[in-house]
Amino acid sequence: MAGLELLSDEGYRVDGRRAGELRKVRARMGVFAQADGSAYIEQGNTKALAVVYGPHEMRGSRSKALHDRALVNCQYSMATFSTGERKRRPHGDRKSSEMTLHLKQTFEAAILTQLYPRSQIDIYVQILQADGGNYCACVNAATLATIDAGIPMRDYVCASSAGFIEDTPLADLNYVEEAAGGPQVALALLPKSDQIALLEMNSRLHEDHLEQVIEAASKACKDVYAVLDQVVRDHVHEVTTLLGE
Amino acid sequence: MQRTEKVLQLRGLQGRSVRIVREHYLRPDVPCRSALCQAACPRDGKLLSDDVTHYVVPDWKIVQDYLEILEFPELKGIIFMQTACQAVQHQRGRRQYNKLRNLVKDARHDCILFANEFQQYCYLPRERGESMEKWQTRSIYNAAVWYYNHCLGQLPVVMVTEDEDAIREYGGETEGVFVISFKNYLDNFWPDLKAVHELYDSIRQSRRERECESQENKGKEYPEHLPMEVLEAGIKSGRYIQGVLNVNKHRAQMEAFVRLQGASGKETDLQSDILIHGTKARNRAIHGDVVAVELLPQHEWKGRTASLCENDTEEKAPGDTSSEPMPTGRVVGIIQKNWRDYVVTFPSKEESQSQGKNAQKILVTPWDYRIPKIRISTQQAEALQDCRVIVRIDSWESTSVYPNGHFVRVLGRIGDLEGETAVILVENSISVAPFSEAQMCEMPSSTSENPWKVNPEEELKRIDLRNTHLIFSIDPKGCEDVDDALSIRTLANGNLELGVHIADVTHFVAVNSYTDIEARARATTYYLADRRYDMLPSILSADLCSLLSRVERYAVSVMWELDKNSYEILRVWYNRTIIQSSYKLVYEVAQGLLDGDLSVVDDILELKELDERTRQQKLEELVWAIGKLTDVARRVRAKRDRCGALELEGVEIRVQLDDKKNIHDLIPKQPLEVHETVAECMILANHWVAKMIWENFPHHALLRQHPPPRQEFFSELRECASAKGFSIDTRSNKALADSLSKADDPLDPTVNKLLRSMATQAMSNALYFSTGSCPEEEFHHYGLALDKYTHFTSPIRRYADIVVHRLLMAATLKDTKVDVTVNLFSNKALEELCRHINNRNRAAQHAQKQSTELFQCMYFKDKVSETDERCTADGVVYSIRTNGVLVFVPRYGIKGAAYLKNKEGLVISCQSDGSCVWKPGSLQRFQNRITSTTVAGESVTLSLFDHITVKVCVQSSRCHPDTIKLEIISNIPYKNTATELYQKNIHIMKADLVKEVTRSAEEAQLAQEKNRVEVIQEEYQEYCQTKGVSLYQLLEEIRDLALLDVSTGN
Repeated sequence: MAGLELLSDEGYRVDGRRAGELRKVRARMGVFAQADGSAYIEQGNTKALAVVYGPHEMRGSRSKALHDRALVNCQYSMATFSTGERKRRPHGDRKSSEMTLHLKQTFEAAILTQLYPRSQIDIYVQILQADGGNYCACVNAATLATIDAGIPMRDYVCASSAGFIEDTPLADLNYVEEAAGGPQVALALLPKSDQIALLEMNSRLHEDHLEQVIEAASKACKDVYAVLDQVVRDHVHEVTTLLGE
Repeated sequence: MQRTEKVLQLRGLQGRSVRIVREHYLRPDVPCRSALCQAACPRDGKLLSDDVTHYVVPDWKIVQDYLEILEFPELKGIIFMQTACQAVQHQRGRRQYNKLRNLVKDARHDCILFANEFQQYCYLPRERGESMEKWQTRSIYNAAVWYYNHCLGQLPVVMVTEDEDAIREYGGETEGVFVISFKNYLDNFWPDLKAVHELYDSIRQSRRERECESQENKGKEYPEHLPMEVLEAGIKSGRYIQGVLNVNKHRAQMEAFVRLQGASGKETDLQSDILIHGTKARNRAIHGDVVAVELLPQHEWKGRTASLCENDTEEKAPGDTSSEPMPTGRVVGIIQKNWRDYVVTFPSKEESQSQGKNAQKILVTPWDYRIPKIRISTQQAEALQDCRVIVRIDSWESTSVYPNGHFVRVLGRIGDLEGETAVILVENSISVAPFSEAQMCEMPSSTSENPWKVNPEEELKRIDLRNTHLIFSIDPKGCEDVDDALSIRTLANGNLELGVHIADVTHFVAVNSYTDIEARARATTYYLADRRYDMLPSILSADLCSLLSRVERYAVSVMWELDKNSYEILRVWYNRTIIQSSYKLVYEVAQGLLDGDLSVVDDILELKELDERTRQQKLEELVWAIGKLTDVARRVRAKRDRCGALELEGVEIRVQLDDKKNIHDLIPKQPLEVHETVAECMILANHWVAKMIWENFPHHALLRQHPPPRQEFFSELRECASAKGFSIDTRSNKALADSLSKADDPLDPTVNKLLRSMATQAMSNALYFSTGSCPEEEFHHYGLALDKYTHFTSPIRRYADIVVHRLLMAATLKDTKVDVTVNLFSNKALEELCRHINNRNRAAQHAQKQSTELFQCMYFKDKVSETDERCTADGVVYSIRTNGVLVFVPRYGIKGAAYLKNKEGLVISCQSDGSCVWKPGSLQRFQNRITSTTVAGESVTLSLFDHITVKVCVQSSRCHPDTIKLEIISNIPYKNTATELYQKNIHIMKADLVKEVTRSAEEAQLAQEKNRVEVIQEEYQEYCQTKGVSLYQLLEEIRDLALLDVSTGN
C-alpha cells in the first residue's frame, strides 16, 4: 500500500508544517464561572477542556487523606463525539485510566501540594475533539485551569509530543502521524527549570536517536510555554481591567 | 512563525465514506528554487537554472502519463507542482512516485518540485461540487501564474495539459503564462528531439488502444485482482502469502515459483517455494513482481517437472510431471509491480501476416523467456522487423491474454554484436552513457606536458612514505588501474612493518559531486567479454588514482607492526599518505623472483637503466621483501584456515578470493603463490578496516557478509559425491573444506572440480549491508571465516570501497574536533545504498555471463558441426534428468543439456564402437544413472561422472539469445591431440610451469595489442564461472570473429 509520505523531500509534513513546527495553539482561561478554575485549549484540531476544583477538604473516604500534602485527583475522559466514529464509553476504559494516572503524576510533580495538607484538588479534563497529542493538550489545558484556580505551582507544566520519521524528529504529531505507528515520545516539562515531569514513549526507538527526539520535544514544550504564558498574561490583563482601574 | 490554518474536508473510502478533517497550514516562505528569483527565497539545494528560454509546468495528467518523456535530460526547466506529484502518488502508486522523486532529486536533470499547496498565495481551496481533476488543473494553473509573477516575468511559463477545456479557459488569461497541449509544446519547443516525439506517439497510441479496449470489455481472461486492503488483511491473517514471483526460465509458460518473503513463511511452516502452475493461476503477474498467493487445497498440488525440455514446446503432457507434489497456489493480487524496460523482437514478416487484420497491434516476443509476449501498437512494425527494440508494459487488463505496451527505442539489428551487447546491457538495466561534461570538469587535469603534481598543502596533511618505504605493486599483465600496492620493512626494534596502500579515490571524488553521483549510480565497473564500462572517468581510473611506479600518488595506507618471530599483529594504523611505488611488477615476474629464478629480472622495466651494482642491490631488497611478504601471508592464511576458511580452489571457484582481481592467468589451475600472497594481504586489510569502521560507527558502517548456505542446497552435491563413493560433510565451512579436498579421484581430476563448483553453486551470495540493519551474529563471512569483512581495496572499480574509504577517514578523524559524520550515510540511506550496490553487482554478473554466452554462441555458430573437429569434445555427466543428462564440457567450460530421447520419441543407442544412433525404445531413470533400452533389447547406461563425447552446436532463435546445445555422439571418452594436451596440462609439473608462463605471456601480449578482452579471466574467477584451460584460444578466435562481424556490418 502506498502509504502517505509523512515527510516530503522538501521537508514538509502532511499538513504543511516543517519538522519542528507546532500546530496552531489557541487557549482561553476561565470558561466556566462555577468551577474554581477552568480552561479551554485547541492545538490544531485537538480540543480539550479542563476544570479544577479545590483545594477543598476530602470528599468520600477520609482515610485517603494525606497528612503532609494535598491529594491530586484527576479524571480524563473523551467526549463520545470526539473521534470519527462515536465512542461508546467516555471514560473508565483502560486507555483513559492510564491517561488519568499520567495526569495525576504530572500534576503531583508540579503543584506545591505540601501547602495544603489533608485536602484534595480535583482536575477534570475532557477531550472534545481528538486529532493527536491528546495527553499534551490535556496537560496544557489543566495547567491553565490550575493557574486560573489560583493553586500555586512550581512552574507551568507544558507538554508536547515528538516522533521520529525518516531520521528526523517531528514535533507535535497530529493524528495521521501518530497513526503511522512510528516511535512517539510524550514529554511534560517544567520549562523554566528544564525539569521533566513525565516522559512516555511508545514503540521502539534506537538509543542513538533518543536524545534528538527529546530535544525536539522539549523545544516544542518551550514554544507551548511561550503561548500559554501569553494567554495567562492576557487573561490577567482582561480580569484586572474588568475589576476596574 | 506566522501561519494560517485551513481545514480540509476529505472523503476517505474505507468500506463506507468517512469524513476526514485534516489541517492544512499555509506559509508565505515556500522557496521557489529558481536561480532567477529576486525575492529572498532560501537558495539551498537544487536550483532551477536560469539559462533556459522558458519554464514548463506539466499538468497532473501529463506527469501521470508522460513521465517517461519528462525524464529526458534534454527537457529543461521543468517545475513539478506538488498537486501533480500527489496525483501521481495516489493514482499511479509508489513505484511511479518514487521515479518522480528520484528524478527531482537527480542533480543531472534540470527540474524541481514546488510545494504550491503549502504556499499561501498559490493554494486554492476546492470548491463545493468541483471535481478533483478540475481543481487540480486550476491549482496548477494558479501556481504557474504565481511563479511567473514571482520571477517578475523574466521568463515565460508554459503550462502543458491534455485538457482541452483548460486550454480554452486559461489559454489567454495571463500574459506570459501559456497553456498549450503537450503535443503542441513538443512540436514548437523541441522539434529536433526525434526520440521524444516517437516516444510520445507510441505512448499516446497505446493509451488510446487501451481506452477502446476497456469500452469493448469482452469476456474476461483472468480473475480480477483483489483490492489492496483485502490483500493486506489476508497476508496478516495468514490466508494469503506474500512473495516474489520467479518464472522458470525453461518452462516459462507453465511453471513459476513464489519465494516467500518476510514473516509469512514462519507461520505457515512452508519450507519450499510455492509452485504457480500455468498462466491462469499466475494471473498477470510478471517475473519479479511481489505477489500475494493463495494456496490450493492439497489434492490439487502438483510436482515440478524434472525432464529437460526445450523452450518452444507449448505444453507438456500431464504425465510428465513426475516428482513429488509441492505446495501449489494461485496469485490473487499483485502487491508491487516490478516492470522495467524489456527488449523485444518483432515477428518476422510471414508470422505477422498470419496475425491478420489487426495490423497495428502486434505481439512481440521479449528476449527474456520469462516475460510473456507483449502487445504493442505501432505503424513501424515493418521497419523494425530485424531489430531489437525496447518496449515498456503499460497495463494488463483482466480481459486481455497479453499485456499492452508501447515502443520506446531501437537498440540494433538482430545478430549484430553491438546490438546484442546493448540488449544485454538493457536487460540488466545497466546504463553506460559516456561521462558528461559536467563530470569531466570536476576532474583535475593531467596532460603529458603538464602532469598532475602533489599539492604542497595536501603534502602537509599526509604522511610522507616516499623515501622511507619500498613500495611495489603486483598486478596482472597490462593492468591499467592499479588500486593497491604493498610494502614491508624491518623496524628499528626488529619487528616487521607490513603496509597495504590503496589509491585515495575519495580525495578526487568529493561527496555528492557529479562524478560521485554517477559512480554511485553505476556502483561497479562492468566487465563484458570484450569490453568494460568504467565506474570512474578514465583520467582517474587509469592515471591519477592508479598507483603506477615512479610517480607520486595519494594513498590510504593500512600499516601493521608485526612481531619479528610470531608475526602477531602488535599495532595497526590507518592514514592518508603520499607514496611513490618503486616497481610495478607482474605476477609471473614476482613469482620468478620468489622462486629464485633471475631470468625474469629483464622484465622489470624499473631496473633496466641502472648500473650493475645498484641493480644487484635493489634486486636483493626486492627479493627479500617479496619473500618476507609471502612468509607473512602464509602465516596469516594458516591462521584463517584453522578457523575454517573455505578453500574452494580449482579453476572456477575460489570464492574467498573474490575481492582480488589477481588470478589472472592462463593456467588458472596452478595459481601462483604470489596471487595468494597479494590476496591474503588484501583480505587482511579489508578485515582490519572492517573492524575499525564497525567500532567507530556501529550503526552505519558498510560491511560485507556471507551468510552460511542452506543445508538443503547441498543435497545434490552429497548425492553426486556418494555416486563416486565420497562423503561430503557440509555441517560447517571447515568440515566442507576438508571433505572437499578429500573427494579427489586421482584418475579423473574433473570430478573434484565439478564437486567444488557444485558446492559453490549451493552457497549464498556475499552481500554488502549496513551494520545498523542486522544483529552482530550475522556479520560473519562464511567463505573467508572472518567475523567482520568489508571491501576496501578496489575503490577504482567498486563504489562500496569508496564508501568504506570515507568511513575509514571519518573514523581516523573522529578524535579531532571536526564533525566527521556530516558526509556519511545514515543507517537507512546506507541500507538503501547497499541494496542498490548488491543489485548492480548481480546485474554485472548476469551481464558478464550473458556476454560470454553470446560470444560462445557466435564462435560455434558458423562452424559446421558435422565436419569441424573443434565442435566435438569430451564431456562429463554431472546430473541426471528423466529424459537426458546435464553435461559439463571442460574444454570450453560449457555446461549444457543433452537429450537421450529426441522429439520423435526415439532413444539413444550405442554401437559397439561407441557411436550413437537413434532408435525406438524407452528410458529409465535411477538415482545416479540413466538407462536407455531399445526395442531390440540393447541398452546403454550413463552414470554420473561418465565421460562421453559430445558435439557442440548452436540452437539459434530469432527472439531469444542463442543457446549452446550438446548432442551425444558416443559414450566413450573423446580422445584426440587436444584432449591429450589438456590432460597433460592438468598434471603439469612445477618445473614446466615457468615455461608455460612465458608462453602464455606471449599470447597475452598479442591480446593486448588488439586492445581487447583480458580482464575477464580474473572475473571468471571472481564470479565462479567455469572455464577450461583453452579458454584463451577460444576467446582469441571469438575476437577475430567479432572484428570480422563488425566490419561487415558496417
